[in-house]
Amino acid sequence: MILWLLLLLGLSKAPTRHTVEIRGMEFHPADLTVAVGDTVVWINRDIVPHTATGSGRTKWDTGQLLQGQAGRYVASSRGTKRYACTFHPTMHGTLIVR
Amino acid sequence: MSRSSYPLLLPAVALLFGTGLLAQNPAAASAPDLSDPEVAHVAVTANSIDIDLAKFAQTRTHNAAVKQFAATMITDHSAVNAQAAALATKLGVTPADNAVSQSLQTGAKQARASLEPLRGAAFDRAYIDREVAYHQAVLDAIDKVLIPTTENAELRKLLTDVRPAVATHLEHAKQLRTQLGGTARTSK
Repeated sequence: MILWLLLLLGLSKAPTRHTVEIRGMEFHPADLTVAVGDTVVWINRDIVPHTATGSGRTKWDTGQLLQGQAGRYVASSRGTKRYACTFHPTMHGTLIVR
Repeated sequence: MSRSSYPLLLPAVALLFGTGLLAQNPAAASAPDLSDPEVAHVAVTANSIDIDLAKFAQTRTHNAAVKQFAATMITDHSAVNAQAAALATKLGVTPADNAVSQSLQTGAKQARASLEPLRGAAFDRAYIDREVAYHQAVLDAIDKVLIPTTENAELRKLLTDVRPAVATHLEHAKQLRTQLGGTARTSK
């Protein structure tokens, strides 16, 4: 039993850290596919502040990110999750969690 | 950029300056030839004008989306001005007042005066009309006057970095204007 568990843990993929850069008033990449348990980090390279805020059923909010600051979200459930910048509603992104 | 292309810029410059500079001085049938300290002054003035109008709008509007838009204008243009001030200090440049900055100030006073008597939805529509026209004019000026005439690479980079924010503000204002409904007035 213990050996089986160890084998299962060994085969399971470790969570990955993904980075989305915010620059030029866009999310790069705007569409990102991740696995459940992965962490997505948004880093703001623009002069002006931004957020990455879940706009659908899944709620998350990095809060205000000043230039050089980063915020994160751990993908906890499957689905297509749209998000936007609270300050600039024309800025959109999508997380596809598989 | 060669001076010979300036006549192509006249519509954008005329839009930026409204009925001001070029109309008052038709002999100057070319876009202004700005020094870097003057470009810096124009940039800071353009930001400050939008901050001041947004602060006024926040005291006047009751529309949550317009309030949010105004808050974003204050935050973003303040952040840009902070960078501009830091860069000016680093470069040892003292922004120099000039006819373009003065023309912008005159336009801002006129805009404020036209908004002053308005209330409610009429104010919201007129404010956002002004923001659409203003950001379009600033965008045109960045593309056709400010970036091409700036000699210092760091100042030019700052203008280039700011451009997407101005374009995003313009799209934001246009979307908001559509949501507000009514007839868009032709604003300067």
